[in-house]
Amino acid sequence: MKGAHLLLAGAGLLLLPFGLRAANYLHPSANLQPSYLPALEGPRPRAAFDAEPISNLRILDPGWILIGDSMAGTRIDPDLFTQLSSQRIAPLLYAGSGSAWWYLVLKNWVIPSGTRPRAVFIFFRDTNLTDVLFRIDAAWALDTAALAGEDDLNAVVARRRGTRFYQGTETLDALYAAPQVRRWLGPLVDEWPARAMIPYRRPRAQFLERLNTRLGLTHLRPMDAADMQETEDREADFDAFVDKSALPLMLRDARRAGLRLCFVRVRRRPEGGRPPYQSRALQRYVSRLRDYLLQGGAGFVDDTGDPVQELSWYEDGDHLSRDGRRRYTELFVSRLGYRIR
Amino acid sequence: MIFHSADFIVFFVVVVALYWCLPHRGQNALLLVASYVFYGYVHPWFLILIASSTTIDYVSARGMERWPARRRGFMALSIATNFGMLGFFKYFDFFVENAQAALGALGLHPGLPALRIVLPVGISFYTFQAMSYTVDVYRGELRARRSLVDVAVFISFFPHLVAGPIQRASFLLPQVETPRRFSTERATTGLSLMVWGYFKKLVIADNVGVIANKVFAIADPSFEMLWAGVFAFAIQIYADFSAYTDIARGSSRWLGFELTENFDHPYLARSPSDFWRRWNISLSTWFRDYVYIPLGGSRATGARWVRNVLVTFVLSGLWHGARWNYVLWGLYHGLLLVATRAHQILREPVRSGIGPQSSGIGYRLSDAACIVGMFGLTLVGWLLFRETDLHAIARDLALSPWRSSTLDRQAGLYLFLLALGYSVPLWVQSVWVESQRSRERTAGVPARPSDGWGAAILRCVACGAAFAAILALRSRTSLDFIYFQF
Repeated sequence: MKGAHLLLAGAGLLLLPFGLRAANYLHPSANLQPSYLPALEGPRPRAAFDAEPISNLRILDPGWILIGDSMAGTRIDPDLFTQLSSQRIAPLLYAGSGSAWWYLVLKNWVIPSGTRPRAVFIFFRDTNLTDVLFRIDAAWALDTAALAGEDDLNAVVARRRGTRFYQGTETLDALYAAPQVRRWLGPLVDEWPARAMIPYRRPRAQFLERLNTRLGLTHLRPMDAADMQETEDREADFDAFVDKSALPLMLRDARRAGLRLCFVRVRRRPEGGRPPYQSRALQRYVSRLRDYLLQGGAGFVDDTGDPVQELSWYEDGDHLSRDGRRRYTELFVSRLGYRIR
Repeated sequence: MIFHSADFIVFFVVVVALYWCLPHRGQNALLLVASYVFYGYVHPWFLILIASSTTIDYVSARGMERWPARRRGFMALSIATNFGMLGFFKYFDFFVENAQAALGALGLHPGLPALRIVLPVGISFYTFQAMSYTVDVYRGELRARRSLVDVAVFISFFPHLVAGPIQRASFLLPQVETPRRFSTERATTGLSLMVWGYFKKLVIADNVGVIANKVFAIADPSFEMLWAGVFAFAIQIYADFSAYTDIARGSSRWLGFELTENFDHPYLARSPSDFWRRWNISLSTWFRDYVYIPLGGSRATGARWVRNVLVTFVLSGLWHGARWNYVLWGLYHGLLLVATRAHQILREPVRSGIGPQSSGIGYRLSDAACIVGMFGLTLVGWLLFRETDLHAIARDLALSPWRSSTLDRQAGLYLFLLALGYSVPLWVQSVWVESQRSRERTAGVPARPSDGWGAAILRCVACGAAFAAILALRSRTSLDFIYFQF
């Protein structure tokens, strides 16, 4: 009899969740368009592709293009850069972005604009370039730079996620149609307090927007805003991850378009009077990355060992202060010739 | 290896399948290998520590029994090894930082070295467990074991190795040594416990953890937002830690073991002493038996008793981590215990016997007031625990609701309701269990364990619903178990 109880519990565990499929049939918004990254996510509503940067680039016709996240944003002052280099600069910098976003910006904005800058600089930290999953899990993270289909990026994401963990969870999710449920149930669960507090849609939407701002970047404690991303040794395996990253795609597309790419590895925050710590695995990784980029026709600059960029330049985490940004921009422009060699 | 990974599920299924094909000694050997694979999965060098600790404790215990005249020396060896490793890996940098600051205040800047050492996961848990073995042998309460494998399995038993519950040698070692038989009843309840644990971790703890992390990341929280964040953290830490315990207990049952309970609905505690009978029970009883009672415990009176309580709680706080806020948290709970017991502010709960006062409406109201009051005091403690910066603690405690804007008030209410919504299953379970107990007390007889078809169907539905909820509502942000860092 006890054996029957165990079987019953097991059956309940495995069969009852099929109710999720039934719930999807009953919920009209479960039928959505497929994502441009089916290897990452199921159908969901998406923000539209933003074509404005393409025309802006055409009009600006910059001498230099910068792509990156807040690492570049707190290092390069565009006005000062333009003034010192006597050439226009197009900063395509987005806080909280990662290598998948940088690839899409290059492929869908820079290249279609037809502009021919002297170089496109891409700023990154440590192993960012070979981690295609870095910062792409948030909904709409890539939408405004992504086309209806991104087959190359999707293939890379699929390779990167082709591990037992992802395969296991995806099989389960697909079996029970869980992603579709999450699309409509998630907002219901997250917003019920707002619905209870503010019955009308418009004021509720305004409240949620103001709440997002209240909990946003400008209100964060310095070290939380700093995003002190830790580089783990298991990520520092260049050969294991390069073909599962957007890096080969960036090099290929830039080569086809005749663009000169130059990758800038920023200096992490120094510790005390010493340079930032680098494990042996990371040192090996950077060495392999350098060889790979140079063979691929790109430039590579590693700021890590630069003693000029001292601790006093930094504000929080790896971000530079306003003064540090000015000094970095001056330093960067003064070395431009060397950097694009 | 972590419980909420596909690797663990595969590992566990393979281990269970092999385990029941082996004779008793083979099962223990397999458990040892499996436990070491589990522990060394990410950082194999951690195994050197646990293997050294095990060997030295085994030798020390054997030495104590064989050469009773030298038992102090063997005990000292065990203490020095265990606490030496714990102190080095967990407290060295803390000591250096504070020594640096103290010398800096004197105008000296010696430039002491800071080590870049990864804290071995679970070291605080298995060190305390190993110590309980040697201390019990030293006291003559337990005989030293001949089998190194049995002692090693006791120390490294994988279901509870990383985050407890801390098991006593007198409870777990006999289970290691006794032949075990597969029990479908145990397996059924084990499965339910595991599913409930995964639900608590992936749906409750990780979702409310996001709320707590958001609030504790902002530089200028309002009064309402801060306390909503503290409430979310209170739910997170309970759901997270008790989830680990449930998965540990559930998986142990599949292997024929029973682990002690670690939580007894702590947020329904009526007083500080009641809270510590319900929260992290295995750690509180460890400190009671190996620190508080040896210091004199409750036999001491007046200032000595206060000292015993405060020393015990401060050490318990420090056990959690090498930070001053944990010391403050321990001290706060020690002071709470002293103050409430001295002034009888919060009543001890009625745990046995039937009294006319236990069913009256007046009693229920005052009981509810005690629960709410104690929960409020617990929240203050969680603020000290979660907020690692002492200046931020001072700022948080100085916040006033009168200075909040309308948006801040609304934001606080929104975050509180969100956390409350996720925590409903926890509250329902706790209230249900407490009301069952109350009914048992009133009836005067324990309720019959429910093992009929009704209970089986209920369990089947609960397991299915919990799994469906995990699939549909699990957090996008997967957080580590909080107690891994301790």
